[in-house]
Amino acid sequence: MLSESRTNVPEAKGELQTQEVQKFPIWEVFTKKKESAVHLHAGSLSAPDSDLAQCFAREHYGQDQPCVNMWVTKRDFLTADSGENEFYELFVQWGAGLRYEHVGEVEACNGVEARDKCKELFCADKKYFTIWSCPNSGITKIDGSTDMIWRETTDQAYRLASGYSKVVRKKWEALRASKAVDDYQSEDLKDTY
Amino acid sequence: MSASANVEVKVGDCSNEDPQKLAAFEEHVANGGLIEPNDWMPEAYRSLMLRMAEHHANSEIVGALPEGEWIVKAPSLLRKLALTAKVQDEVGHGQMLYEVAQDLGKSRNAMLRDLITGVTKYHNCFNYPCPTWADICMIAWLIDGAAILNQGTLAHGSFGPYIRTMRRINMEEAFHFKHGEDMVLTLMSGTDSQKQMAQEAFDRWWEPSIAFFGPNDRPDELERPAMRWRMKTATNDDLRQKFVNRFAPAAMATGLVINVCTKDDQGNVTSATPDPLLKLDEETGHWGFTQPNWEEFFRVIRGNGPCNKDRLALRRFSYEQGEWVRKAILDGTTTPCKN
Repeated sequence: MLSESRTNVPEAKGELQTQEVQKFPIWEVFTKKKESAVHLHAGSLSAPDSDLAQCFAREHYGQDQPCVNMWVTKRDFLTADSGENEFYELFVQWGAGLRYEHVGEVEACNGVEARDKCKELFCADKKYFTIWSCPNSGITKIDGSTDMIWRETTDQAYRLASGYSKVVRKKWEALRASKAVDDYQSEDLKDTY
Repeated sequence: MSASANVEVKVGDCSNEDPQKLAAFEEHVANGGLIEPNDWMPEAYRSLMLRMAEHHANSEIVGALPEGEWIVKAPSLLRKLALTAKVQDEVGHGQMLYEVAQDLGKSRNAMLRDLITGVTKYHNCFNYPCPTWADICMIAWLIDGAAILNQGTLAHGSFGPYIRTMRRINMEEAFHFKHGEDMVLTLMSGTDSQKQMAQEAFDRWWEPSIAFFGPNDRPDELERPAMRWRMKTATNDDLRQKFVNRFAPAAMATGLVINVCTKDDQGNVTSATPDPLLKLDEETGHWGFTQPNWEEFFRVIRGNGPCNKDRLALRRFSYEQGEWVRKAILDGTTTPCKN
């Protein structure tokens, strides 16, 4: 039985009989929650190549909450000074602790120029913490409308807190006064970030 | 689910650090400032933050093991979908946290191997057995509920990448928790045997839930690095009290009885008597409760719990069995998967 393949696993002792895996390059992922939103930095991942980075990005950052568009790029590109003459996507972290936010794109001949232009065009008079720039040629853009990321064709309510809120509230109210349920639920967290 | 509240770290003093830089760092953090990976930080901060993130990541990975066992035995298609999604989320949290830890200076690979060989630890509550479906329900309600309380405060910490990860994780924990409530409420409004199964699981999980926040505070708790540097923003005892205040009356409203239990070496409950200290102090608004058995807690942390060996054996088995996948990936013989 499948369920029992995970129990009574023999205890292995001694050195691990596996090879060390070489360190993978790090990739940064930006996601857009809905069409009217901008791309926000979601997090990073380790993957040996671009194809697998996209695969992991979908798995880790695209399937746990709504996502209509996703960009994946090698971390090294974001802070690189060099580059070719092309369009660069620009991301600004407005303060320490905040998520990088996509602000726009500029044509530039390298990373330094792209970030300088970002300061002029998008950060004038504003305080910011750091800027990332990414050459368009180094970014993989996945469009959820043609290449599905978050599955919209089937009901995903089972994997969101909001999918249970009403029924749970009703069940609590059968057991406790509304005021007690309100107090108890005041510590609930929202289900999007 | 997870927690880093009870990670015990001995932090070397900062006598080798530049006193001016250290003073500026401490002032920045004390004033609510946040630290990003490229900012200057004392070595002790870096290593403590790394160990906290690594312990948290380990807990996410190991926490998924007992739950994964129940996917094929879930009682309905909806529960199976939700539990599969939860397990996927937990492993994803592990991956995100390993990335945070990796940026602080330890390779993912070393972390995965140290978990298997017992060099590093994971959250203690996963060393207890999960014999019935009701245990899955109680874990999702109580342990994820405890994790949300804890992580809600960790999300106000001082290290940028960790707090961003915490916020993302919390949003997914919100689903785990609501689903847990739904499952517990379903059992407690069901048949007598469902209620009995829920009570028995509750007896197994109440103590690990209140022990989840870690050992009692020390007299100098606020002066210790984790609090001083705002990696933690609430003490273990404060969080535990908050948890009991929220969950004790809720559990009683469903008909569950809060018992003080004794357990055998396999984690089976051998006696259960209603907690004599359980009452509301009208003045403070706090619920009294019996402390967890700390002697047992430390014994289990040291590797002598009911399931320590099973969890690590399964983790090791999966890692060794997955060797060909890692090889295939490195040889470039894979093709990317899509939905």
